[in-house]
Amino acid sequence: MIIKGGIVYDPANGIYGDEMDLFIDKGRMVEAAKGEEIDARGLLVMPGGVDAHSHIAGKKVNTGRIMRPDDARIGTEPRTAVCRPSTGYTVPNCYAMGYRYARMGYTTAFEAATPILEARHTHEELEEIPIIDKGALTLFGNNWQVMECVRDKDLTKLAAYVAWGLRAAKGYGVKIVNPGGGEAWGFGGNVKSQNDIVPNFDVTPAEIIVGLAKANEMLNLPHSIHLHFNNLGKPGNYTTAIETLDLLKDLKPSRMRQVVHVAHMQFSAYGGTSWRDFESKAPAIADYFNCHNHATMDMGQLLFGSATTMTADAPLEYGNARLTHNKWSNHDIELEESSGVVPMVYNRKMLVNAVQWAIGLELALLVKDPWKVLMTTDHPNGSPFVNYPEVITLLMSKPKRDLEMATLHEQVPKRTTLAGMEREMDWTDIAIMTRAAPARVLGLEDKGHLGPGADGDVSIYDLRPEEVDTSLDHVLVKKALANAKYTIKGGVVVSKEGQILATPPGRTFWVDAAVPQADTDRLMVDLEEKFAKYYSIQIANYAVQDAYLPHAQIIRAGLPVLSEVA
Amino acid sequence: MRTITIAPKNAFRISVEAENISTDKFAPLTLSQINSLVVWQGNRQKTLSDLFTVEGDDAPATTEETTIKLIGDYSQVKRIGEGMTAGVVEVQGNVGMHAGNNMKGGLLSIAGNADDWLAREMRGGKVIVMGNAGNYLGGGYRGEKCGMRGGEIEVRGNAGAYLGEHLCGGSIRILGDAGDFPGAANQGGTIFIGGSTYLPGAEMSKGTITVKGEAKVLPSFLKTEIVQVDGLAFQKYTGDNVDNGKGELMVGVGSS
Repeated sequence: MIIKGGIVYDPANGIYGDEMDLFIDKGRMVEAAKGEEIDARGLLVMPGGVDAHSHIAGKKVNTGRIMRPDDARIGTEPRTAVCRPSTGYTVPNCYAMGYRYARMGYTTAFEAATPILEARHTHEELEEIPIIDKGALTLFGNNWQVMECVRDKDLTKLAAYVAWGLRAAKGYGVKIVNPGGGEAWGFGGNVKSQNDIVPNFDVTPAEIIVGLAKANEMLNLPHSIHLHFNNLGKPGNYTTAIETLDLLKDLKPSRMRQVVHVAHMQFSAYGGTSWRDFESKAPAIADYFNCHNHATMDMGQLLFGSATTMTADAPLEYGNARLTHNKWSNHDIELEESSGVVPMVYNRKMLVNAVQWAIGLELALLVKDPWKVLMTTDHPNGSPFVNYPEVITLLMSKPKRDLEMATLHEQVPKRTTLAGMEREMDWTDIAIMTRAAPARVLGLEDKGHLGPGADGDVSIYDLRPEEVDTSLDHVLVKKALANAKYTIKGGVVVSKEGQILATPPGRTFWVDAAVPQADTDRLMVDLEEKFAKYYSIQIANYAVQDAYLPHAQIIRAGLPVLSEVA
Repeated sequence: MRTITIAPKNAFRISVEAENISTDKFAPLTLSQINSLVVWQGNRQKTLSDLFTVEGDDAPATTEETTIKLIGDYSQVKRIGEGMTAGVVEVQGNVGMHAGNNMKGGLLSIAGNADDWLAREMRGGKVIVMGNAGNYLGGGYRGEKCGMRGGEIEVRGNAGAYLGEHLCGGSIRILGDAGDFPGAANQGGTIFIGGSTYLPGAEMSKGTITVKGEAKVLPSFLKTEIVQVDGLAFQKYTGDNVDNGKGELMVGVGSS
């Protein structure tokens, strides 16, 4: 396939809006190829989009669907010759996820939180999401085995467990959600800071985070730890965020990447002592990111309208449910996690929501290096992913931000610094935040760029970067981003002008990290006891069988590097 | 005034989804355009003229000046008058589920009976049923927090169970009996039931429910005084106290 004459943005390879031809052969980018020609003369061409943090599959997504038949009614589309029927807006069905990502020019999305015990469900759903490539991060932050290893300061056993857990869950990386808090929630409690003792385990969240980060680097995993802070969603929590990040600043990464990725930073950049004097602390957080290089974040942008909050942070969801008097699902995942789901409507006239909206944008605009900030809405917590074009246009257009600001609660300019911000992002920034940076943060070498050998994932938009004024023509830009002119996935045109043309199955990435057998042997003694005593299922039935991932893509990590370090 | 008359070509064994039969959809269209509007029968997409005969004035008119007359049996035709904002839809027989749902204005009159979910999530306008209405009249559909928010519904016969569930405003008037749990989770609407019912107002937080006939009242309602309305005596209750509700429930006394 030849893509002719596009204006290409491929920041990972230092290409910033050059007119060039692209070639795809056997699903990969190559130097030259023959075949189908796609006319992209003068049009915006970028690598396929990569979403590094989105809740697209698994038990809590499905719980959201079950709780929200009202949501299923929105966004229904009948089947076509190619597509199966779509339903839902904040919690779409599996098919709709694939189609809607593809329409926007996205070709990869990662599910952000899966407990090992429920990983089978996640993979069943991931397999049903057509077109896009996927992966799932595995939850470790409230796991009994993790906390015991941290308490005993047995790092090699912890690394062995992380490797074993990733293999059992067919997971891609280490996700940590409110470490210790989820365990405390089993007894109706929570941890109030990273230095609180987790009941019954004699460890602190700080120790859990540092322990898992060290194990992550020992195992040379492609992704760093992926962290949802303690105290998330509470006024004044920015100090928790900064203090927690400071714990990790001297750790050495095992690969060319960050040591910690912060999930949905917007929800952890809050000042004030209560919702009454709630304010933005995005400048303080952005300063920290500007002065340190060990951390990256995703925005977790909130947009007004309907959302469904879902997280392994169960005490947070209890708070949400009490606050909104809305439906609430609460779930305990044995020795591993707890979780919750609460539907939410964000209102532009509500001061708290309006400030939250501004904080996400402030963070992205104040952090100078776009490689450190990924564009997400923490789908569907801040807003469904179909609204990414809205977020991108807000970042690119000061007039659009001013228009929105005029409709918000009048206190917003006093509680945030957004009104005075002149920065307008260009296509290079956007290509980094939605393509190159997420791929680099996740450690996906063949994604997010268009160099030879990369996956043949390309998105072409009906926009002429050399003519369109992204600041003034934001309506046009948003419309073009919502439906890519072409989305090419692995060398196949999957979507054209919003119409799905083909639905090839996507691959599922998972990480197989090798560890010394002796460490695994020591670990298995612990695990066999836990399964015999506490788990509701047998250890033999625990791991996800290979049959659940017919399109698996295994990434190796671990042992060889481990021995070098030693 | 533009009048369009529609009649089914034959009896439907498989139900029809006809949200396009509404004054708003018809008003700007000529007859031939109306004929080619989409309806679904089961999982098959069809046009209006495949299933119905359409007659009337050809020239487009405003929505306010559009009247649709439906002749024959529509008990298998769903979503008639969905989201209409003005004008008149007149059904001369029975009507199927979800008629007048999300209606914002105008008049929907039904000479026969209406099926379930009549005028669910209605915002405004008026619905009159000469016969009986099914379950969930003026309610909120599955998972929805708000049912009817405004407008008026009048049923001359009986109504089914769960009428006005999650009611957020507007008024519902039933002249006959109502099924179980009328006004469940009422958040501010008004319901009048001329006949009898069972367990009205469960989980109501605001609004008023008046039952002229007999009603079994939930134990979570607090019995207060006897009040006179239009020369009739009613026992007044407040509740539902399981939800700290401030709703009013009035049940007729002396009629038994």
